[in-house]
Amino acid sequence: MNQPDVIVIGAGILGASAAFHLAERGYRVVVLERGAPNREGSGTTAGNLHIQAIHTRRPGQEVPVDSARLLPLQRRASDHWSQIEERLGADVELRRGGGFMVAETAVQEEELREKHEWERKAGIPTEVLTGDEARKQLPLLSDRVRAASWCPLDGYANPLLITPAYLTAARRLGVEVHAFTPVTGIQRVGGDYKVLSGERSWTAPVVVNVAGPWITEISALAGVGIQMSPVAIQMHVTVRVPPVMHHLVQHIGEGMSVKQVSAGNLLIGGGWPAAKLDMEGRSTVSVPSMAGNLAQAGRILPFLGDLRLLRMWAGPLAATPDEMPVIGEVPGHRGFFVAGGTYAFTLAPVWGDTLARQIAGDPPADPVDDLGPGRLLHDDATTPVSP
Amino acid sequence: MAESEADVAVIGGGPAGLHAALVLARGGLSVVLLDESDTLGGQYYKRRTDQLTAAFGDFRPRGTELIHRVRAAGVVVRTGTLVWGAEDAGRTLFTSDVRTGALGRITTRATLAATGAYERSLPFPGWTLPGVVTPGFALHLATMDRVPVGQRVVLAGTGPFLLPVACALLEVGARIEALVELNHPYRPSTSAIGGALRQPARLAEAARYLLTLARHGVGVEQGARVLAAHGDTQVTAVDIGQEDGGVRQLETDALCVGFGFRPSTELPRLLGCDTRADPTGTEQLPVVDADGATSVDGLYVAGDCAGIAGVHAAGVRGQLAAHAILRRLAPERAPVRLSGLRRRARALDRFAELADRLYPLPTTADIPDATQVCRCEGVSAGEIREAAATGWNDLHGTKAATRAGMGPCQGRECGHIVAALTGRNESWAECFAARMPIRPLPMAATVEGQDVP
Ligand SMILES: Cc1cc2nc3c(=O)[nH]c(=O)nc-3n(C[C@H](O)[C@H](O)[C@H](O)COP(=O)(O)OP(=O)(O)OC[C@H]3O[C@@H](n4cnc5c(N)ncnc54)[C@H](O)[C@@H]3O)c2cc1C
Ligand SMILES: Cc1cc2nc3c(=O)[nH]c(=O)nc-3n(C[C@H](O)[C@H](O)[C@H](O)COP(=O)(O)OP(=O)(O)OC[C@H]3O[C@@H](n4cnc5c(N)ncnc54)[C@H](O)[C@@H]3O)c2cc1C
Repeated sequence: MNQPDVIVIGAGILGASAAFHLAERGYRVVVLERGAPNREGSGTTAGNLHIQAIHTRRPGQEVPVDSARLLPLQRRASDHWSQIEERLGADVELRRGGGFMVAETAVQEEELREKHEWERKAGIPTEVLTGDEARKQLPLLSDRVRAASWCPLDGYANPLLITPAYLTAARRLGVEVHAFTPVTGIQRVGGDYKVLSGERSWTAPVVVNVAGPWITEISALAGVGIQMSPVAIQMHVTVRVPPVMHHLVQHIGEGMSVKQVSAGNLLIGGGWPAAKLDMEGRSTVSVPSMAGNLAQAGRILPFLGDLRLLRMWAGPLAATPDEMPVIGEVPGHRGFFVAGGTYAFTLAPVWGDTLARQIAGDPPADPVDDLGPGRLLHDDATTPVSP
Repeated sequence: MAESEADVAVIGGGPAGLHAALVLARGGLSVVLLDESDTLGGQYYKRRTDQLTAAFGDFRPRGTELIHRVRAAGVVVRTGTLVWGAEDAGRTLFTSDVRTGALGRITTRATLAATGAYERSLPFPGWTLPGVVTPGFALHLATMDRVPVGQRVVLAGTGPFLLPVACALLEVGARIEALVELNHPYRPSTSAIGGALRQPARLAEAARYLLTLARHGVGVEQGARVLAAHGDTQVTAVDIGQEDGGVRQLETDALCVGFGFRPSTELPRLLGCDTRADPTGTEQLPVVDADGATSVDGLYVAGDCAGIAGVHAAGVRGQLAAHAILRRLAPERAPVRLSGLRRRARALDRFAELADRLYPLPTTADIPDATQVCRCEGVSAGEIREAAATGWNDLHGTKAATRAGMGPCQGRECGHIVAALTGRNESWAECFAARMPIRPLPMAATVEGQDVP
């Protein structure tokens, strides 16, 4: 299939979801992936389904996400996730055990109430509990917890399973997945894009650039200047223990997320920065971030102190200067779509569906015009490259 | 986090680390010697408990003496201390107290990794049954505790190590039902003998073991292998595939199977030094010069973790690395003549090469699909092959797809087999990347260690 309808660049969760949604609509799709699929952001992610607002900032993050703006999309994502195992015909260890977002100070408690208001408006069920009420539901929470918001829709899906499940389902619908196929050039040929990987090439009227932290690089190949800022953040995982905790626990004031996954390991993260971002290989973990993140998690969930840390890793993600996701066709570059950025894991089903609708010329289920790539274009964005 | 400093950190208190620490301390440098076990000595100079020493004598008096000299030379010895991570080219080491979990950080001017080796296991049907152990474990029980691993023992696999283990088992009263060697090392071709003759001491050692075995009526069955172990709750029988293609079943209550040793290279790999495939083609070894210097400036590697070569080579290599570090940090005190040591090292290397030729590994191609490969996560050979067959999984993708290598041992035991079964890359030994912490770390100290207001 050298002349598909759509060429998807990148086989992370967004590429996999986009390919699946496009194939469902009858498009002939080719996915090109540099290495093994699901090795970068999507395979190293914490895998949280953030349905209540994530108002927290990653350590080092300069501006907060616009939570109120994102919530309708999170609401939509929640519906998608509820059906995902059935739609893909796969077990992705989906757990919707609900989640707490804890506050330790009066100011943080106030923030819980503020976001609860936005959530109510978006139709997301949350309630704000006192510390004692929260501890009654989850006795593992420490006395430091002064208040917590509770959302029954928060959850987790196994990142090691979901992207392969999307790809497998897409393949069943005729999608070709070419792993170990790095895109090395993009040329404009008439109304089409010719995408090269070394000696090989594919030509299609539509290209979807979902290369995660490499969005900038892939865009540049097509003469598009898009500004994203790759960062690496880190995760910590304990050895397996019997089931003790069924909920996601986050912190309203600090980057922290803790949950127990199906295999029994506890995953501790929260966007603490890695020591070094390495776009070629694996990024280097930071020991101070480990100490900081674990100390903070142990302050909220003291039982963590009895466990053993099995491993830590760092994964890359692509942030935008405004910390909001990006999705849509690049102005002036007909047929060249990009998608990525903030909470791409949670929003992946929505983004796959949205891209498929945009490519088909249908309106998305929720408007996303304000999240288009126009706002990220460099001043020096060039015109499309012709051969 | 407790902080400390030293001119040189030596990680690993086996023969390589002990010899190195002694040279470094006598050269006037401040040396910290770290080992995760409770006692110094490593694999070869293991320490018996005082009661056992009193009853049966010192296990290896030369080790006792060496340890004594190391302490007397002023080396700061920190046993029960795991080095779980490192950065800054090895100038910063992260430690954890094995008992309390208390974290520490050591800053040094140079680091020598002398972390030794693991035993190599290869899966076969039944290898996870209780009673199936490694030869090293059996030897440990026999020499440290004077306990036989079973009354009737079958020993199998490949490598010279099977011989002393068999002798040690006989000494504590076990019966050796069979000693099954995969290869034909004990009727070597004339050229191989030529190589061995340059190491008469090693040859004599092997001959001594073979004689002891013969005296007990134990013959070495060459060209044979274990096909499967049977039993419900404990191994009770073993199928042995013979040279002529026949299969014979033996009753047994312990089966020791081992295929030599695998270098423990996590720390140097973690620090990103250049690597090359080891002679078995299944491991990535740090590339070192004749003195153990790696491509990472200030990081040295010696002993079995730089390539399996045995206790004598470990000692010599440890000394050479220490001299190189002395030349670097205290040139005025570095010795002039090392030619004897270097000659010895080269001869021992040749002997190690001979062993590599005599004891090649079996192929992994015939591991049955149903056989468990990753014991921690319960992943079978078939599942690994299936994941690789999607066409989109390399070694790391296969790990993610199957969880093979994600358990407590982090692929230390199974990584080389997963790599062989995944087999995308035939030109070099792929292996799982080394990651911090290199062993599971108690979190207590971390979780309580930092109080954020
Ligand atoms: C540690 C961590 C924790 C996170 N936690 C959460 C969370 O809990 N919830 C949440 O919603 N989000 C979370 N995120 C964010 C989210 O997981 C990621 O943003 C998301 O998975 C990114 O998906 P993606 O498909 O856009 O990019 P990626 O998964 O990074 O995929 C991009 C792909 O493009 C490929 N590529 C690059 N260059 C080329 C080329 N030249 N040719 C072909 N292919 C190429 C790459 O190899 C890669 O496979 C987290 C991220 C990280 C790193
Ligand atoms: C059971 C057994 C019997 C043997 N018998 C013989 C024999 O008869 N003849 C012979 O020539 N060879 C024999 N060998 C091989 C011989 O023991 C080794 O070649 C030799 O011990 C290698 O010395 P080394 O210093 O490199 O490593 P080792 O002796 O293995 O010492 C390594 C040390 O490093 C420590 N360590 C590893 N990682 C860390 C870490 N991250 N943090 C802190 N400490 C760490 C370990 O606890 C260990 O004490 C035997 C090996 C074994 C296992």
